[in-house]
Amino acid sequence: MTHHEVEKYSAGARWFHWTITAAALVLAITGLFLYVPAFSSVAEGGATRIVHRIAAVIFILAPLLFFLMKPGRSFHFIKEIFSWGKDDLAWLKAAPDYYFGGDEKKMPPQPDMNTGQKLWAVVAFFSALGFIFTGIFMWFLKDTLSAGVFDWMVIIHDLCFIVGGAMLLVHLYLGAIHPRMTESLKSMVKGKVSAEYAQSHHGKWYKEVAAREAAAKGTPGGQGKQQAH
Amino acid sequence: MAKAIMYDATKCTACRGCQAACKQWNELEAEETKNTGSYENPADLSYRTWLKMRFTEVENGNGLAWLFTRRACMHCTDAGCVQVCPTKAVNKTDSGIVYIDREKCTGCGYCVEACPFDVPRLDGSRVTGKAKMFKCILCKDRVDNGHEPACVKTCPPGALDFGEREDMVAKSEARVAELGDDALLYGDKELDGLHVLYVVNHPLKDHKLPVNPEVSPAVTLWQDILKPVGYGVVGIVAGGLLLNYMVARARMVKAKEGK
Repeated sequence: MTHHEVEKYSAGARWFHWTITAAALVLAITGLFLYVPAFSSVAEGGATRIVHRIAAVIFILAPLLFFLMKPGRSFHFIKEIFSWGKDDLAWLKAAPDYYFGGDEKKMPPQPDMNTGQKLWAVVAFFSALGFIFTGIFMWFLKDTLSAGVFDWMVIIHDLCFIVGGAMLLVHLYLGAIHPRMTESLKSMVKGKVSAEYAQSHHGKWYKEVAAREAAAKGTPGGQGKQQAH
Repeated sequence: MAKAIMYDATKCTACRGCQAACKQWNELEAEETKNTGSYENPADLSYRTWLKMRFTEVENGNGLAWLFTRRACMHCTDAGCVQVCPTKAVNKTDSGIVYIDREKCTGCGYCVEACPFDVPRLDGSRVTGKAKMFKCILCKDRVDNGHEPACVKTCPPGALDFGEREDMVAKSEARVAELGDDALLYGDKELDGLHVLYVVNHPLKDHKLPVNPEVSPAVTLWQDILKPVGYGVVGIVAGGLLLNYMVARARMVKAKEGK
């Protein structure tokens, strides 16, 4: 088979991903200084609080901007991460064998996002909502909140940190470190994956892509005309 | 040994000499305020007003009562601000003084929300979040050098006293017995013992003193439960990932050798 690559992530999606990643990492690290007393000396002086706020603005604006620029893609993404079916259950059952042992036989063919990626997206979605909602309260509405409510905002903010942070570790690991995820990081950096990787990791999705490519090749003139309209 | 201030509201004339002495000793700027039709001034505690007298007018069976209540840090034994402070900038001395190390303070303001008496105040910017916390530190510098706090030293009618906490409790109890009727001691048992004791002869609610002050369960939940849980969850996840890496890698190598 000749070396053939297919596009996995558009430039816009990659920019969005890395912008929000950078903001989230800065937020996590500057937040950690308040969470872990051993690191608290870094937070003295309050500079980390300003950095945390700047990153928070980016963390809020990036998805809004992406949504305004690509509303269709955004809606599709939201719909996709909340669509769960039988295949997802089968995936979850087969996942330990695959991620530890590399046994691929039981893994159902996946669309462009597999069950694990969807799970991460759902957790990230809700923890981001939790972070943003409680964060805005803690930032601007401190004076109007009763003390009790404020305390709970801090707790929810921290809960999001624990759940979202733990899942972020898993995401970083599977995206960049796991020995079998050879092209995951590459796909988000360069946007493309090899056909072989697409076939073995996202079989359902690759079928669609291959069909589209074959159609384009088969009737180059017709396809070109359609696009011209 | 634990120290305490005793405030006898029945002797207080609300001259506010204590307010002035506090500002003078701690070098706190004066505030420009508006006349609201009351002698009470300033209206509230602030980062540069660590002590103020509250004036309350209460109508009861015997007509109008004009009550004076000291407003400043109560120096709790079970102090919410100390528990909640993420950088351990708020601390207690052996004598029971709750003080702030402003170098360590990040200005998060959690102490402001955790205080059952609404005492700590922030000075800083809401937008950038850069701030520092200020409150009464029971003239720690004076007490450490064997002096009474500035407010106590200046009090003309002797409504304020300072000394060993045991002695102050005993003196307060004696005063309560002497006053009889509705007189009571506030601060001996509250929050495991305040280091500011109040002798009052009107109901606590008329003085706007919280009847059963307590540190919010959210503070305990956050510090004592959620934080350890967080370390646990992250530890387990990180451990699991490391294990996964080792197993997955070893099996991959094995599979390759098998071919």
